[in-house]
Amino acid sequence: MESGIKEKPSGRWLSVRRYVRIFREFFRACFVEELEYRSEFLGNLISSFFGIGIAVLTVNIFFYQTDQLGGWTYADVLVLLGVFNTLRGMIDFALRPNMPRLLEHVRRGTLDYILTKPVDSMFYVSFRHLVFWRLIDVLLGLGVIGYGLIVKRYIPSLFDVLIFLITIAASFVLIYSLWMMLMTTSFWVIRIDDLSFIFDSFFETARFPIGMYRGLVRIVLTYVLPAAVITNMPALSLLGKWNMATAFIAVLLALVFLWLARRFWRFALRFYTSASS
Amino acid sequence: MIRKYIALLRMKYIEMLAYRLATLVWMTGAITQPLITMVVWMNIDPAQSDAFIFYFMAVIFVERMTSAWDVWELDREIREGTFSNYILRPLHPIHWAIAENVVYKALFAAILAPVWAIAALFVPALRFDVTGEQVLLFLAAVLLGAVLRFLLSYICGLLGFWITKVTAVYGVLEVISLFLSGRIAPLSLLPPVLQQWSIFLPFRYMIGFPIDIITKAANSHDMLQGFAIASIWIVVFVIALRWIWKAGLKKNQAVGG
Repeated sequence: MESGIKEKPSGRWLSVRRYVRIFREFFRACFVEELEYRSEFLGNLISSFFGIGIAVLTVNIFFYQTDQLGGWTYADVLVLLGVFNTLRGMIDFALRPNMPRLLEHVRRGTLDYILTKPVDSMFYVSFRHLVFWRLIDVLLGLGVIGYGLIVKRYIPSLFDVLIFLITIAASFVLIYSLWMMLMTTSFWVIRIDDLSFIFDSFFETARFPIGMYRGLVRIVLTYVLPAAVITNMPALSLLGKWNMATAFIAVLLALVFLWLARRFWRFALRFYTSASS
Repeated sequence: MIRKYIALLRMKYIEMLAYRLATLVWMTGAITQPLITMVVWMNIDPAQSDAFIFYFMAVIFVERMTSAWDVWELDREIREGTFSNYILRPLHPIHWAIAENVVYKALFAAILAPVWAIAALFVPALRFDVTGEQVLLFLAAVLLGAVLRFLLSYICGLLGFWITKVTAVYGVLEVISLFLSGRIAPLSLLPPVLQQWSIFLPFRYMIGFPIDIITKAANSHDMLQGFAIASIWIVVFVIALRWIWKAGLKKNQAVGG
């Protein structure tokens, strides 16, 4: 018992390593699974290129009529679009494939099997299934970011990149938390088949500069559903327009939302009463 | 034929009532994208805000009235082999699809039109002042648009006899139509090359054209030209549909046997 208390810090470190190892195992299992469908790879590749091409063309149509959008120039909006695409690629890679499966688990009562596994259930339900070819979208997003920076002729400093990495990590945590909270509602609303539709509608607002929105919408998108923070902050960081205070707030916000998501998951589990018998 | 249609319409009506909630969710469709596009344009040209509000609300409305889902239905039915049930019946399967479209769109119109009227009481930008003639032309254009989109969707669905990923093909067409149909921008704001393309391809007549009539963006010459081009496309689609249908039946090998 005594030694257990003493070893707590290193024990926690061990569990992080354990989860990294489990994640790697999920990764490997899904990779093997996906190799079965190699012929689909080309089609997926084309559709990803097509998607980003269309997004860039849309921006071009807008900038055919103007030279700034909510205070952002063409190159700035391209960087923003790149960030958006990168984050969406991450969502489609790790989060989206798991949503319908949780609904299914709750409906059929097979969540029992997950709850009895010696792994954190929230971790398991959100990362068990991965769709690899979506990582193409992440790469294409990074490509668009690069292209935007070239158009702007701006080379980010080391500090810009550092803050960018911190804020984009915060964004991912934030997205994960919002997504997880939405997913957790499946304990009550199992009839709605596609909750991800709601998330997409909200996430779509993050495609453009927050300065574009006015009044109440802007307040909601900044503080309640922080779409603004999610894409605008990393883009601004990379363009060298960051300040420590906002970066700090982004990280803090991410942690608060993660905590909320965690609490909500725990709360929801208490309402779970299996399905059979 | 009329008796058959009455029976089909009743059947589809009952079917629709069975899925009330899904129908309601579906009616709103994907409204975020037009709303965001609207905000973008209001930022680009604040002086025209009211015109943009009207235009994009009309996009949401017309898009629902002309929407087509038959490609997904056909894709599934052909793949799973249940389409054979329809082929065996003495009535061409397209009539089921037409009846379904009529019923759903009548409901959409019956709900969305009053919603628009009530909204117009509070939002002045949504009010419009048109002659009876214009309203008729608008309705005619919406009908043409619905027919065009339905035919295109049905043709793509029938391609399912040959290829397995017809919904992906249709997805590509949908994305192209995003620009050319007027969902991203009114015709007058597109770059000249895209304007040219959208006038000659069918996509604009599925959404943008009716709106241009009601907002008076199209003069009588534009309207004449528009109706002519849309009609030509309908003829082309009908011929293509008949031909693909015949060839497809020869090709068809139902799954499951």
